[in-house]
Amino acid sequence: MKDIELLNYTKQEMQAYAIAKLIQEDQIVIVGTGLPLIGGSLASRVVQPSCHLIVESGLMDCNPIEVPRSVADNRFMAHCTVQWPNVRFVGLEINEYLHGQRRMIAFIGGAQIDPYGNVNSTCIGDYHHPKTRFTGSGGANGIATYCNTILMMQHQKRRFIEKVDYVTSPGWVDGPGGRERAGLPGDVGPQAVVTDLGIMKFNDETKKMYLAYYYPYSSPEIVQENTGFEIDVSSAVEMDGPSDEVIRVIRDEIDPLQIFIKPKTRK
Amino acid sequence: MAAASKIMSMQEAVSRFVQSGDTLSFSGFTTNRKPYAAVHEILRQGQTDFTLWGGPAGGEQDLLIGEGRVRIFINCYTANSGFSNVLRRYRAAIEQGKILFEDYSMDVVMMMFHAAALGLAFLPIRLMQGSDLVNMWGVSREVRANEPTLDNEKLVIVENPFSPGEQVVALPIPRIDCAILHVQQASPDGTCVIEGDEFGDVDMAVASRKTIVTCEEIVSNEYIRRDPTRPRIFGACVDAVVHAPYGAWPSQCYGYYDDDVDALREYDSASRYYDAEDAARVLQAEALKKGTVYDPEKQVETFVDYLEKYVYSVPDHAALLDKLGAARLIGLKNVPGLGYAASVE
Repeated sequence: MKDIELLNYTKQEMQAYAIAKLIQEDQIVIVGTGLPLIGGSLASRVVQPSCHLIVESGLMDCNPIEVPRSVADNRFMAHCTVQWPNVRFVGLEINEYLHGQRRMIAFIGGAQIDPYGNVNSTCIGDYHHPKTRFTGSGGANGIATYCNTILMMQHQKRRFIEKVDYVTSPGWVDGPGGRERAGLPGDVGPQAVVTDLGIMKFNDETKKMYLAYYYPYSSPEIVQENTGFEIDVSSAVEMDGPSDEVIRVIRDEIDPLQIFIKPKTRK
Repeated sequence: MAAASKIMSMQEAVSRFVQSGDTLSFSGFTTNRKPYAAVHEILRQGQTDFTLWGGPAGGEQDLLIGEGRVRIFINCYTANSGFSNVLRRYRAAIEQGKILFEDYSMDVVMMMFHAAALGLAFLPIRLMQGSDLVNMWGVSREVRANEPTLDNEKLVIVENPFSPGEQVVALPIPRIDCAILHVQQASPDGTCVIEGDEFGDVDMAVASRKTIVTCEEIVSNEYIRRDPTRPRIFGACVDAVVHAPYGAWPSQCYGYYDDDVDALREYDSASRYYDAEDAARVLQAEALKKGTVYDPEKQVETFVDYLEKYVYSVPDHAALLDKLGAARLIGLKNVPGLGYAASVE
């Protein structure tokens, strides 16, 4: 295991690279701001140039020059193909499913996640009297209903827990058949969880999260230590870090103002 | 015959069309084309007890919530994204139990606005199933029964009549008293040009009982008809047209200006504390937690200070623009062909 301080990239850059690697040919990628946008931009520029970036505000096929701060930012709006009202975005997402197309992949972030990939972005504690209140669903619930998703989390014990305080975006609900029983499409759902420590996937049989990849600076042991439930790490393999060219594109082209990707601090 | 002009001052538009107890909704999306100038005027005039359909809400709604003007908040997403990733007075109001609130997903709220614009009886969807958006009600059935601005049910699970056995979520239709939109151009008869994404604005304008439009530029009824591909809102949907250049400040206005990074950062830090007393309490607790020394002499800007500076100390929007100054505002102007202010840090 390598010391992150001695590598020429940061954990955020590794995470953005991991996101980009999960995007497949010709996919329509629903990105939010922050790391998913950096990862999506990296995919469209270097790793998977055939993908299309869209955002829940209704802007289609975005190709921003400067990194946007929100999904409705002028930086998206001035550099996209179509400016749709939100309802068209929702309609597209749903019809994509109804027509049997599976071109979309979407990113969702959250504060808590359980072994089945159910995500909470609403509150910590009791819903009516929360200890901490967050934004609420935004577009996440709709995305989790109809699209295959990649979940983005910081890998901490208090975030990876057996039962989330509020299910904002359903994952595989309570296991096999759970989505169908809840009235959700059963053949789409969370595909992976990308964290600063590794990439988790979901077991086809049990629908439970397992560790698929860890990074050059992490290990299966570190992942288990930072996960609040038992996680299968038996099939985990190490993923290579980003190349110098990928690091250069992130730093010089995608986020030169360091809005989301913070520079490596020298100690 | 010339159509009657709907142009009026901001003071007149807000006093005529915004009443205490109203159900309101606002244009734009988090930090884009938010009707701040109109919200500032509501704050000055004192109307209160609103039911607010947040939509993709930004700081303009946080101002009203922080000032205690919102009794019921229908939330789906409330952030100045990139600056305050959860707006702080909204968060405090819920954490401190000071507000009635309900949650839907953003897709669903936008579809509800659209359903209202279509005049539908109710809205059947498949979204939100399997989540706590269905299971948990922010406002209970008992409380709803006594709230005239809310329907008795947050939602009802029904069987799809065309697909027996399929369960879907039926939603009530929002009843908006007043929609307040900031747009790029409007003419005296109320016709509006929206440049860039319309978000849910056209739906709101059609669905609401009254609509106030504030605009960057007023153009003639004749000019706005020269290119019918541009107007997005029919004048008959609009009750008041108010000239308010930089009326979305500190948010963005596509084709005109970028967000004011300094103001949005200032709001993020000021809105951490309601007032000086709250700041003292919070800072003392933080110092205790960190093991540092609390300095009671250290002054921090609070939400109340921010409002005094940008809202209550000025009589109207023109005075706010003077206070901000020409150089600052011109520095926000979009670079043509780029669509944002390239000099923004």
